[in-house]
Amino acid sequence: MTLTALRRGLTAAALIACAPLSALAQDFTPSNPECIAPANPGGGWDFTCRQVGKSLQDEGLIPSTMQVVNLSGGGGGVAFAEVVNKRNDDNDLIVAASSATATRLAQNAFPGNTMDQVRWLASVGADYGVIAVAKDSEINTLPKLMDKMKADPKSVAIGGGSAVGGWDHLKVLIAAQEAGIEDVRQVKYIAFAGGGEAVTQLLAGSLQAFTGDLSEAKGFVDSGDIKVLAVLAPERLGGEFADIPTAKEQGIDAIGANWRGFYAPGGMSDAAYDYWVDAIAKLYASDEWKQVMETNGLAPLDLHGAEFQAFVQESVNNITALSKEIGIIQ
Amino acid sequence: MSDRIFGGIGLLLAAIFAWQATIIQESFLSDAVGPKTFPLVIAAVMALSSLYFLVKPDPEPEWPTMGRLAEIGLAVLVMIAYAELLPEVGFLIATAVASAYLTWRLGTNPLQSLVVGVCTSVGIYVVFKLVLGLSLASGPLGF
Amino acid sequence: MDTLASLADGFVVALTFQNILLALVGCFLGTIMGALPGLGPSNGVAILIPVAFTLGLGPTPALILLTSVYYGAMYGGRISSILLNIPGDEPALMTCLDGYPMAKQGRAGEALALSGIASFVGAFFATWGLVLLAPQLVKVALLFGPAEYFALFTLAFATLGGISATNQAKSAFAAALGLGLAMIGVDTQTGVPRFTFGEVHLYDGIDFLVAIVGLFALSEVFIFLEHRGSAEEEAAKPKIEIGRIVPSWGLIRYCTPTMLRSTVLGFIAGVLPGAGASLGSFISYSIEKKVVDSSGKTFGKGDPRGVAAPEAGNNAAAGGALVPMLALGVPGSGTTAVLLAVLLSLNITPGPLLFSQNPDVVWGLIAALFIGNLMLLAMNIPMVGLFTRVLMVPPRILMPVVAMISFVGIYGISGSSFDLLVMIAFGVGGWALRKLDVPLVPVILGTLLGNEMEVNLRRAVTIDDGNYGILVGSPLAIALWTIAIVGFILPIFVGGILKRRMKQAHEEGSLTD
Repeated sequence: MTLTALRRGLTAAALIACAPLSALAQDFTPSNPECIAPANPGGGWDFTCRQVGKSLQDEGLIPSTMQVVNLSGGGGGVAFAEVVNKRNDDNDLIVAASSATATRLAQNAFPGNTMDQVRWLASVGADYGVIAVAKDSEINTLPKLMDKMKADPKSVAIGGGSAVGGWDHLKVLIAAQEAGIEDVRQVKYIAFAGGGEAVTQLLAGSLQAFTGDLSEAKGFVDSGDIKVLAVLAPERLGGEFADIPTAKEQGIDAIGANWRGFYAPGGMSDAAYDYWVDAIAKLYASDEWKQVMETNGLAPLDLHGAEFQAFVQESVNNITALSKEIGIIQ
Repeated sequence: MSDRIFGGIGLLLAAIFAWQATIIQESFLSDAVGPKTFPLVIAAVMALSSLYFLVKPDPEPEWPTMGRLAEIGLAVLVMIAYAELLPEVGFLIATAVASAYLTWRLGTNPLQSLVVGVCTSVGIYVVFKLVLGLSLASGPLGF
Repeated sequence: MDTLASLADGFVVALTFQNILLALVGCFLGTIMGALPGLGPSNGVAILIPVAFTLGLGPTPALILLTSVYYGAMYGGRISSILLNIPGDEPALMTCLDGYPMAKQGRAGEALALSGIASFVGAFFATWGLVLLAPQLVKVALLFGPAEYFALFTLAFATLGGISATNQAKSAFAAALGLGLAMIGVDTQTGVPRFTFGEVHLYDGIDFLVAIVGLFALSEVFIFLEHRGSAEEEAAKPKIEIGRIVPSWGLIRYCTPTMLRSTVLGFIAGVLPGAGASLGSFISYSIEKKVVDSSGKTFGKGDPRGVAAPEAGNNAAAGGALVPMLALGVPGSGTTAVLLAVLLSLNITPGPLLFSQNPDVVWGLIAALFIGNLMLLAMNIPMVGLFTRVLMVPPRILMPVVAMISFVGIYGISGSSFDLLVMIAFGVGGWALRKLDVPLVPVILGTLLGNEMEVNLRRAVTIDDGNYGILVGSPLAIALWTIAIVGFILPIFVGGILKRRMKQAHEEGSLTD
């Protein structure tokens, strides 16, 4: 009698424990979840895979440990081609991506590959762009900087952490366009190996302005070594960054978000696609992820499924148009 | 003589490099120096030093016999096969075969080579995969 | 005084049982990863990041583990350089030049122990430099704009002439080859691909670890295949005797000035972001050679000072590289770039305020560096005997193992068969170059520094609107150019002319007699 009751109790407990999993698992559960980081260990994509993999498991959203595989080369192009050509039907696979992926797709930097060859899952946050100057610069607002560039493009060397045509460069061009600079090719952009290096050269006096992500500039903003003229976000950010004006409120309607997210193979079944979208959406809503976002300086950007697909499509279109205009692609 | 041939190859290399540099497709967005200048300077240095070998060659090195060259060539082929087949057959098998081959060709008897190959493969697997957690190629058998 | 009090607090943070255990594990793993060809300090640190996160370590313990790996790898790289003539990672490249000849003379034990001590000296003083000078050093880093960096890299290449005394034209060719290889990939200043032949795998350029492992490790395998069983093999085989394990006090004293000079040079190279540990060990070696052996009689032939200089230099540079990382948030090397990513993910923002905002983390980290460094010295000296056992393994077994480890090291990081093929190509190329007596060091130096050298030239000229005059536009740039030209380039030509004149004078003299 007591034994049976005990057994029943245990079964019930087990059922309850399994409930969140089985609710998800109606149609599909990955038997061997895998995340491809299209770069060497230590980079941004690697972190995206590992952080998300760990948090998904902590939250019980995937049944087993996420295996992270590094597949570097071609700025993510090698991994993209591998997914399209060899693993198109893999339901257990997700791949880390960011604005850089969209930029390269838009500029045909993955030869023969386009964004509709894969299915875009969801974003997990964004890092908004900033435009900054050294603390002793006489320029105090974004329109002032743009006026100076308009009057004499050679007088402002602006540095950033991405290659020419990369996201840091495009952000400043978007702002320049909005500010009415007609030939944005005149903007004197100097590419550095990373945002930190560019900020250092701003402090050293080699550059007059800096374009990058807020997280890269944070340390220097706190110390007062640089002045952020504008954040390229739709509205002011919260917390310690509430004082930074947006470009929009200064009359320059430019938004530049370096988002992080995932795509999946193009041949993934709808059940699996829904499973992953749902899992990442649940993760995004969790407290643990809020903590991770805060730690990593990520701002909210909550898009999933069709919404995310449309968002990536739109940004690829915009980047294509801009890149054509400045002549990076024909 | 070898240095003269080397000088010739060097010149050819410099020429190809310079040619490839001139056909770099420049975008409308070019910096003041451009993507071609530095490669062209490099090609010039390469060409000048190659000319020097042509004019003043060093004494002849000792080249291996044809048999030995074939030996090296075969080892290269085995390595290429290893690189290509690694993702297909999986790490353990590919590595055991390749290292057994190299051990054998370096003068170990065949049976011993096989043992060494297997040990090397398993040893590396344990250190890299199990201890350091790197993802090595897993073939159809999962290792 | 404040500084010392903070440091004492740091030791309180660092000296817990868990942290010491982590430092020990980190030092050990780091040494091994440094010694294995294909795994360098940056990959070593990156590989252990998930471990640190999985263990749920807090910021200080995680950093202690990872920096111990970093310092350990800097120590470990020398082991395979000395014993096998294969640099375990790129900063250990220069240690081959005199370390391997020493091992062949039966002084492997001495070379290992001496290089261990030199590593300790370099790292120890560099850590003090970090403690005492970090804020001031940041100002030094800010003196270097693109023009000054370009002059610095030119200086590095100018010193190449002093490295291999045999045939300068071959050095020049090798450097050009390396620089040419560095040009492969997407050009950051215009975004156009160069020399990629449409191959996506080449867009990111050639990873220098692939180059180094191919050129050194695989070409060594081919050399062994070529000489198998012949009389030459007997001659080429390093002596089995290990020699004394503890270097004599006299030898250490003899090398002390070298170590100190190299520490200073390496540290400065480390502080400059974009220069890094490889440049530190390179400059230390070539300047030291210039200072103590200008006629080129002993360096390259097993001079202990040629082992002490690059090891003190690269370990000092490793410490120096932490200055811009912590104080500016700018990584000076691949490894510090990875450490920076770790700091950010631990919610620590490196930058000017780090020392005041997170003093416990910074000083705990610095104290851990001291502890790790002592631990490495204590671990490395007794282990010399163990390391040298490697030489007892016959090459016919050792070489395939080395080759396989090289393959796995590269594949495990990039997951790409293409990289393996490139590595094999480098192996064959390296073998041919060795046969033709072309030095390999300039090739690696070219691939390592080529991009930085070019982009700094282009940044400088672009910032100044196409005016090349900017390259000599500051006193610092002029000073660097002067050292390069007067110190290294002129002597090559003038030296030749002088030699001929003297010969002529001698002949004329004998005629008149």
